[in-house]
Amino acid sequence: MVEFTYTPQPNIIDEAFAADGETKPHWQYLLDGLSALGADAFADRHNKAQRILRDDGATYNIYSEQNAPDHAWKLDLVPSLITSQEWGKIEAGLLERSELFNLFLKDIYGSRDLIRTGVIPPEALFLHRGFLRPCQGVNLPGDHQLLLHSVDLVRANDGSFCVLTDRTQSPSGAGYALENRTVMSRVLPSMFRDSHVHRLAQFFQKLRTKLTSLSANQDQPRVVVLTPGTHNEAYFEHAYLANYLGFHLVQSGDLIVRNGYVWMKSLDGLSRVDVILRRVDDSYCDPVELRGDSQLGVPNLLEVVRAGRVVIANPLGSGVLENPIFIKYLPAISQALLGRELRLPSVVTHWLGDDHDYHKVKHSFDDWVIKPIYRGELQKSVLVSQLSKAERASFLAKVQAKPEHFVAQPAVETTHLPSYCDGVIAPRPAIMRSFSVATEGSYTIMPGGLTRVGLSERSFVISNQAGAFSKDTWVIASEPERASSAKGGEQPTPMRDADLISLPSRVVENLFWMGRYAERAESLLRLLRTVFVLLNSEEPISEVCRRQLLLSVTEMTSMLPGFKDAPESLLNNPGDELIAAVADGNRMGSVRSTLNAMLYCSDESKELLSSDTLRVINDIRDALYALDEDLAGGLASAPEEALDPLVTALMALSGLSQESMLRGVGWRFMQIGRRLERTVQTAAIIESLIVPEVNEQDQSALIQALLQMLENLISYRRRYRARMGVQSSLDLVMLDTSNPRSLLFQLEELSKHLKELPKVPETRHELALEERAALQAEALIKLSLLKELSLREDGQRKILKNHLEQLTELMGAVSRYISDKYFDHKNSSQQLVRNTIGE
Amino acid sequence: MLYRICHITEYLYNAPVSHCYNLAHIIPRTSHRQKCISTDISINPTAAFKSIRDDYFGNRAYHFEIQRSHKKLVLTATSKVETREQFYDAKLDAGTTCADAWQLLNYAKEAEFLFAREFLLESPMIKLQPALREYAEPLFTPEKPLLQAVMELTQLIFREFKYSPEATTIATPLEEVLEKKQGVCQDFAHLQIGCLRAMGIPAKYVSGYIETLPAPGEVKLVGSDATHAWVSAFCPGQGWVEFDPTNNCIAAEQHVLTAWGRDYYDVTPLKGVIFGGGESPILNVSVDVARI
Repeated sequence: MVEFTYTPQPNIIDEAFAADGETKPHWQYLLDGLSALGADAFADRHNKAQRILRDDGATYNIYSEQNAPDHAWKLDLVPSLITSQEWGKIEAGLLERSELFNLFLKDIYGSRDLIRTGVIPPEALFLHRGFLRPCQGVNLPGDHQLLLHSVDLVRANDGSFCVLTDRTQSPSGAGYALENRTVMSRVLPSMFRDSHVHRLAQFFQKLRTKLTSLSANQDQPRVVVLTPGTHNEAYFEHAYLANYLGFHLVQSGDLIVRNGYVWMKSLDGLSRVDVILRRVDDSYCDPVELRGDSQLGVPNLLEVVRAGRVVIANPLGSGVLENPIFIKYLPAISQALLGRELRLPSVVTHWLGDDHDYHKVKHSFDDWVIKPIYRGELQKSVLVSQLSKAERASFLAKVQAKPEHFVAQPAVETTHLPSYCDGVIAPRPAIMRSFSVATEGSYTIMPGGLTRVGLSERSFVISNQAGAFSKDTWVIASEPERASSAKGGEQPTPMRDADLISLPSRVVENLFWMGRYAERAESLLRLLRTVFVLLNSEEPISEVCRRQLLLSVTEMTSMLPGFKDAPESLLNNPGDELIAAVADGNRMGSVRSTLNAMLYCSDESKELLSSDTLRVINDIRDALYALDEDLAGGLASAPEEALDPLVTALMALSGLSQESMLRGVGWRFMQIGRRLERTVQTAAIIESLIVPEVNEQDQSALIQALLQMLENLISYRRRYRARMGVQSSLDLVMLDTSNPRSLLFQLEELSKHLKELPKVPETRHELALEERAALQAEALIKLSLLKELSLREDGQRKILKNHLEQLTELMGAVSRYISDKYFDHKNSSQQLVRNTIGE
Repeated sequence: MLYRICHITEYLYNAPVSHCYNLAHIIPRTSHRQKCISTDISINPTAAFKSIRDDYFGNRAYHFEIQRSHKKLVLTATSKVETREQFYDAKLDAGTTCADAWQLLNYAKEAEFLFAREFLLESPMIKLQPALREYAEPLFTPEKPLLQAVMELTQLIFREFKYSPEATTIATPLEEVLEKKQGVCQDFAHLQIGCLRAMGIPAKYVSGYIETLPAPGEVKLVGSDATHAWVSAFCPGQGWVEFDPTNNCIAAEQHVLTAWGRDYYDVTPLKGVIFGGGESPILNVSVDVARI
């Protein structure tokens, strides 16, 4: 450790160093390697890791609309090391605990013998909100009721492992662990390879096999991952896992119960769903029988579960096992169900609903962590001594009013792990989450797990919400051999075989709109860039041109009143309004609000986007984030340059969708969205700049602006080498099918894509409504005569105007017909008896 | 007594409901003092899917799903039920005392006592609060037989509270009922349950029907009966005994029960999720309890 100064804390066991300061043998190789690497190179690897995480879209937080980008997932490159011998013991303990919790769950929703025989007091179960009475008697096929089990585990300062909590609701983190592993194997490949780390892939294979085997329908079972949606803190993981396991990612609105089965709404109708890996808390899953106010559930789901026609993992009701009161009774429960006590101990737990326990704690609240028995938004563990006087009083009043809703546990002092923070390696407390999945006859435990370290030396709560770092956990052979067969890094090998045709229609709709918003934003950016350049140009433009250009911004963004009927003062000082058209996310129609809408759609269809595409989307997000600063100089400081990164990123996005997206239905809808939107935008800008009659010189300037914006100026000059003529420019931007920005080019492409959409086979040769409208639009433009289009009447080119307006209307019709036919229009639901008192 | 009960629930919506999912507790369950001989259910429009099961409390839960657009839903349940008196009328002033009951509930290891303790806890619609205990406490003296104290509480509620359908809705909280001293049978049942639980006595909510008899010389009108609710209290050694605070009596042959639970939330006669339907649907319920 030449480059890093690391001082273990006195009185706290360090994972890497013995009390006499010697490096523990299993850390030697890694620490030597880190030293050899040196601080600078390590910092480089750290940055590279953060970049990969960002490019993969690894986040843990909420995408907030206006400014802040996603909170990137944080990875500390110093792994946590566990020898295989030690892991063997931990694994056996975890296995036993999962087996016990499985039997416990069966008893809770079955005969409740543990209550009958007095092993646990009835209140410990009955007052817990996670005990869902409607789940009584639900039985899964196979040996196990509890399919997934996670445990938060620490090594206490006496060296023993100790369980703090169990996660049985919908344990999260396995996907993040996999992502951490992927990144580690890429940024520290040789260290990873030579350390002989136990692989994770097998765990996921078992998970996949187990989920698939649960299906009652063994002929092509369909498994879906149910997420609460893109706003969920762990949405990245939901999409990542769905992708890795090859399952569809769905939201509640994508599912429907009909005739006793669960179905996914897809473009080609309803497809049956056999197994649901849920990431929605159980009490939200069925508004008929569980929380009536839930919008995240599927009505009547539970009744399908009871009939055995769909299997949910973890089963509904399993959240009750997270009740920390049970930890107090765990030794007795284990005696009753397994005939022995658990090998892996749990944290000492006092239930304040027990008189004896309450008396023990009430004189020394400051020494305890007080934990609510039900995990929720406002219910967090509290270390009483860390509260201010006022907080302490109000918190204890709450506890004393309903002591039975709380447990007390000692603040466990944990061993320290070397961790990379702010450029140095320092000792930090750590916690590890383990992952079990039920497999034939037993459980499979992920070797290692997700380790998280506290922000400070004495952190008491380590959670991702508090901004903690995570670590990869390496279970290693005790003496790594340097020269061995290279196994290579651990790349996730996606197991996807899900049929790409039956996408949830929500995803397809989002792709359609993603195409439209991307195209709209690009057109706006091109227009604004052109306007900025012209307003700042050396040759001043005329009043008329200026007014017309500004007006075109208002017309294209629909940000009214804008420059419409604006006073001279605004026209002479248009800076603020123009900047608002770019950057004001609160005004509909601005570039920022359009891009926010596009980003929202991309989040909703994330699982279909390639990793390159996700990277470009990150660039767009970054460019948006930087926008305010870049535009701070206002109109005077060449604002067009601030727009360049966005235009480039949008071009890259459109290029990628051409080059790297499968030509599936999703791609087709995105293309339809793009073509349709480009038609509308191009028509609007032509109408704005060419329809009004102006003098010849101004006309020429406006045509030039139009061509510039449509990127046709160079082609035009090469072709005509002449002054800007109305007819020749309309020829280029409307009729020339070799010009990928002309109207006719869009319309021909649109028709091609529409022809390829899935159709009901029995229809006759009659064209579908959307095809008719598109054909009408195509004919309208194809049959137009340049001479007529350029005719002037009452200060306007009336025929041109009329054609463009008709075209816009027809495009609106195409869009409407498509949505009516292919997208799901979710009727909002309500409770028959409004029962706000949910359980 | 043998009864035929016809229970019609009708919803009129302002806008079409495209599809809906419902859960009904309208099939009378079997208990130690009644037997349900048969139930016919008809649904209009026709249900695409229906199923019956026993729920957590042993009630009959009826699920149905309608997949066609409708503006009116009519659910008709016709049941034949045979009822008996309870056994305990005569023994109110003897039996387990309050003090013994508390002692037994705390320490006895019999499964029946342990499971009864579920009904001591708060439930979705019954939050325990000091006012409930204050209201009931004077009646529950340690040496008094428990059932006598429960009957006195039944009488107290009957005496002090006014039956008034306009005063409350399903969502009216208990403290408001206690303050206004008005309400309907559900409110009185919830109130009595709250008082009993606050006093450490397990209590269930019972929903069902009551046969009303016409005044002498008048003819009984069809549909004049109503859905009804009362309570069941647990007395260690004597079991569950039903009391009706709305009618100031022990539930008798005229009390036909459909389901019991912790409170109304567990046994709502008809609930569910509808898609569409617009604002404020109109609900009409008619019940006819006829001797056969």
